[in-house]
Amino acid sequence: MKRIVAMLLVLCMALGLAACGQKAPEATAAPAAPAAPADTAAPAAPAEPVAEENLTETQKIIKEAQTMTLEELAKKAIEESNGKMFYGVGNSSRGKSALPLFIAYLQTIDPSYNMEFEWQQPKNNKIFDQLTADSLKDTGTFAMTLIQDGNQIESKMVQTGILDTFIPKDWAEANGTTAEEYKGFLALQTLNKVFMYNNTGSKTYDNCWDFVAEGEHGLYMDIDSEIVGKNFLYMLTEDTYAGWLKEAYNALPAEEQAYFQPTIKAMESEAADLGLGPDGAYALAWIKLLVEIYKAQTDYGPNCNTLVDKSATDQFGLLVYSKLRSVEESNSVSVNNVNVAAYTDGYQGIGGYGYCHYLFVTDNSPLPWTACAFIAYMTCTEDGFSAWGKDMGGYSSNPKVAEATENTRHHQTGGYVDGVSVYEAKNDRGYDWWTTDGKLVLEDPEYCASVAFTVGSWIEMLTKYSAG
Amino acid sequence: MKTTANPPASRLTIGLNKTKTFFSKPYNVILLLMGIVFTVTTVAPILAIIQDTLKIHPGTIDAHLTGQVSGYTLVNYIDLFTSRMAKTNLWTPLLNTLLLAVGTCIVSILFGGIVAFLVTRTNMAWRKYISSIFIFPYIMPQWTLAVVWQNLFNSNAVTGTSNGLLAALFGIERTMIWCKSLVPSQGVQGLHYAPFAYILIGGIFRNMDANLEEAATILDTPKWKIMTRITLPMVKPAILSTILLVFGSAMGSYPVPHYLGLSTLSTKYVSMNSKYTGEASILAIIMMIFGVAIMMLNQLSLTSRKNYTTVTGKSGQISKINLGKSGKYIIALILVILTFFPSLFPIVSFAVETFVPHPGDDSFLYTGDTSNLTTKWWVTSENVTENGMYGQKGILHNETIWHAFRGTIYVSVCCALLAGTIGTLVGYAVSKNRRSKWANYVNSMAFLPYLMPSLAVGAAFFILFSTEKLNLFNTYTLLIIVGTIKYIPFASRSSLNSMLQLSGEIEEAAIIQDIPWIKRMTRIIIPIQKSSIISGYLLPFMTCLRELSLFMLLCVQGFILSTTLDYFDEMGLYAFSSGINLILIITILVCNTLVNKVTGASLDKGIGG
Repeated sequence: MKRIVAMLLVLCMALGLAACGQKAPEATAAPAAPAAPADTAAPAAPAEPVAEENLTETQKIIKEAQTMTLEELAKKAIEESNGKMFYGVGNSSRGKSALPLFIAYLQTIDPSYNMEFEWQQPKNNKIFDQLTADSLKDTGTFAMTLIQDGNQIESKMVQTGILDTFIPKDWAEANGTTAEEYKGFLALQTLNKVFMYNNTGSKTYDNCWDFVAEGEHGLYMDIDSEIVGKNFLYMLTEDTYAGWLKEAYNALPAEEQAYFQPTIKAMESEAADLGLGPDGAYALAWIKLLVEIYKAQTDYGPNCNTLVDKSATDQFGLLVYSKLRSVEESNSVSVNNVNVAAYTDGYQGIGGYGYCHYLFVTDNSPLPWTACAFIAYMTCTEDGFSAWGKDMGGYSSNPKVAEATENTRHHQTGGYVDGVSVYEAKNDRGYDWWTTDGKLVLEDPEYCASVAFTVGSWIEMLTKYSAG
Repeated sequence: MKTTANPPASRLTIGLNKTKTFFSKPYNVILLLMGIVFTVTTVAPILAIIQDTLKIHPGTIDAHLTGQVSGYTLVNYIDLFTSRMAKTNLWTPLLNTLLLAVGTCIVSILFGGIVAFLVTRTNMAWRKYISSIFIFPYIMPQWTLAVVWQNLFNSNAVTGTSNGLLAALFGIERTMIWCKSLVPSQGVQGLHYAPFAYILIGGIFRNMDANLEEAATILDTPKWKIMTRITLPMVKPAILSTILLVFGSAMGSYPVPHYLGLSTLSTKYVSMNSKYTGEASILAIIMMIFGVAIMMLNQLSLTSRKNYTTVTGKSGQISKINLGKSGKYIIALILVILTFFPSLFPIVSFAVETFVPHPGDDSFLYTGDTSNLTTKWWVTSENVTENGMYGQKGILHNETIWHAFRGTIYVSVCCALLAGTIGTLVGYAVSKNRRSKWANYVNSMAFLPYLMPSLAVGAAFFILFSTEKLNLFNTYTLLIIVGTIKYIPFASRSSLNSMLQLSGEIEEAAIIQDIPWIKRMTRIIIPIQKSSIISGYLLPFMTCLRELSLFMLLCVQGFILSTTLDYFDEMGLYAFSSGINLILIITILVCNTLVNKVTGASLDKGIGG
């Protein structure tokens, strides 16, 4: 008896280890698509025509969905997901705010509609591992994703067939194109990270080379923690942006040029080895100087907390522009303690970095129609975009939505109080200004992927600034 | 007259009888089953991570170097050890990891050991207060001390940030070596593990027989000689254990070096994981090798160690060193001040942080303007960003925080119950069979996960459970499995130590009376060693509450409190992270007090009771 009891007890506990706790969230909908071949190279560019018989079930649905209006998609979503559970995963936490609005929208079509949802936001690049692991199931957990870092998306998610691009009909029309013609990923928005500096001292930064000048140690989110930050550096080596750096260099006084000249000279052979264009040496020199002097931060929040404090005299950093909106004024903290470098009169060179949040349907999505409808809702309606649109520094990829958002939110006069501009740094000059006069470097996923192991490895060889 | 001779028993019958006899002893059954379970739970993740080092991962360096998107290759090993980046990716982090672990051991043993000596072996004043307060840094997540360190020592002139508290209030600007990288990492981790050393070394000091010291005193031996020739050799086993345990834990710690900007194997694992996935797995294996090496060293030290009987029946009296009338107060005062900074100051700092209007804005301290304080971080009930809430509700209304809190409690309770129960049974079974090789094997396998760096264990289990058949990422099941395996040693060691102290006669008497095993356990053995066994439940519970390195690869933020706390800290939302810290500390203190009141067991009495 005792041995049976002992054996049972131990067995129970051993089994209990595996049995207790919650079950893995499982899709409630009927299986929609077979598992994606995770370890084989799948069709590359999303808009490349693929033979009908080679399409997965989700891709077939996407193909059909791309011909439908938002309302038609909404009806399909209601049919598919009423009473079910929707799992989304994204780099932005605001998918969680957008989903209730989407459900409310569906309820305007069918008041009896309801859907439970969960939105997950992994950190430390874990989203790619999570989506890869989920892609191994016949029917995945996640219906869709909102994801950043075009480089990794291209090489790990799209080329492997884990994610599928869906281009909403209304979005394509607003952009003067069609789903078939459009090549690339579907962006929800472009976000900008801009150079800002604390202005409580006398120092000014009127040229992007000032950020890498002798003795400077800017605040920058560690490029190993946030790969998007590394993509910024990759993009600088692209011909256009390398040209911008050269222009800015040429605008420097001779004595300042003299400091940078040896580094630029030394980079010429490196640029040639890496197959970069004629101005590549300027890009490499700027990157080298930055990597060797920046002070790594865990996120842009700490950057912002530091820079807006009056004691951070003469410090500067690159930070997500929208962070300024959450600064609460106090005795020592104020938005007026910082200047946006690109807004400074006579500023020369790059003003910051623009990168996208992309939307995808998972290839084994349990709710593909609902995923498509949700994506269309976020990219084609002001309400759908409102979770992000309420912040400055984030611009919808749909020009109509961008315009409507600006008309409602007035980000361009976001620093005004009672008709007077009180917080100059909060007057967001808008996407068009940033991508022209503001010289925002824009992420190109394909370019990033193409130099990830050339320029990327070269960057990793650099000796990062070590405080100790 | 016919006589019938019994036929000789066949080999089969003998075998069957032997088997029957073997299984008639519950501890044999436990050992057999646990041996199998531990082998699987330890070996399977190691095999999974080894496989990962050989696998080609799309979009990473191995795919780039081989030109393939699937299959197996040795290129990860070749690249990691021989490429131009070997120094950056491997050797420097490895060196830093070892320096960090060594420094942590030195700080924790010196600080913890001295305090343990003063509390247990002297007549120092306020011993109870110091003993209770000293374990606080171990209760708090370790990186919160790193954040406090930064808030204290940062300065515009040196670190190029906004001024920290010392610079803002007193104009004190410490050098960079003091503010960032190796030295503060060693200091912070050392302070975090000092209570651990205090618990282990203090346990020996508390139970040590004073006869030897008394004899030496009678023989007029100088005090320094008594200390170096008698006292220290007697606590050497505890110091060795502490070194091994702290070294193993410090090696795999991620958050402290991450926050203080030190490149170690664990921070490198995380940063390399996206682009150098297979090579990152090799780093995890290197960390594991250190774990195995530590276990072997532990075994070696156990076999070569001189045998000291620290608990005897001859004298239970401990003679306390007299520090003198004023000395006992002066030393106590110094300790009160010293323990204030790692133990109480963070709590005060956390509390203050939840009332300042902007993260890190302590301006009310030097302006005296109390209107610069706010309760918004606690009471805001709407999702707004305009008042600097970054789109979050106040702590009291924040579903993310409370959902994570419930998740943490659930995981911690399950881990504590499972690890505590399994560990207790293992300790019991090993003590009953201590000369058996299998028992030693089971004991070692149970202990191995503890010596393996948390991050490496987490990484291995992530790979093991992210497959087509078994996909447990972001589930409580996975966290409970991993937590249980990792924390069994707390209970098994605690149980083994106490069971070894228990005379076999007690249970034998019950066996003669034909008392069933269950009854013997529940009515005799467990009640006698109640205090140690409860420690075996309490330590996994408390450690699990604030565990990050082990769980960070296994779930998303918002799932449990530590990942949520880390998320807020990384984002610079210190009010939320401070609030979570307060919630954690209060939870642990309440639980500890409750357990203490009900059972008499307490954290500061620690492993082995």
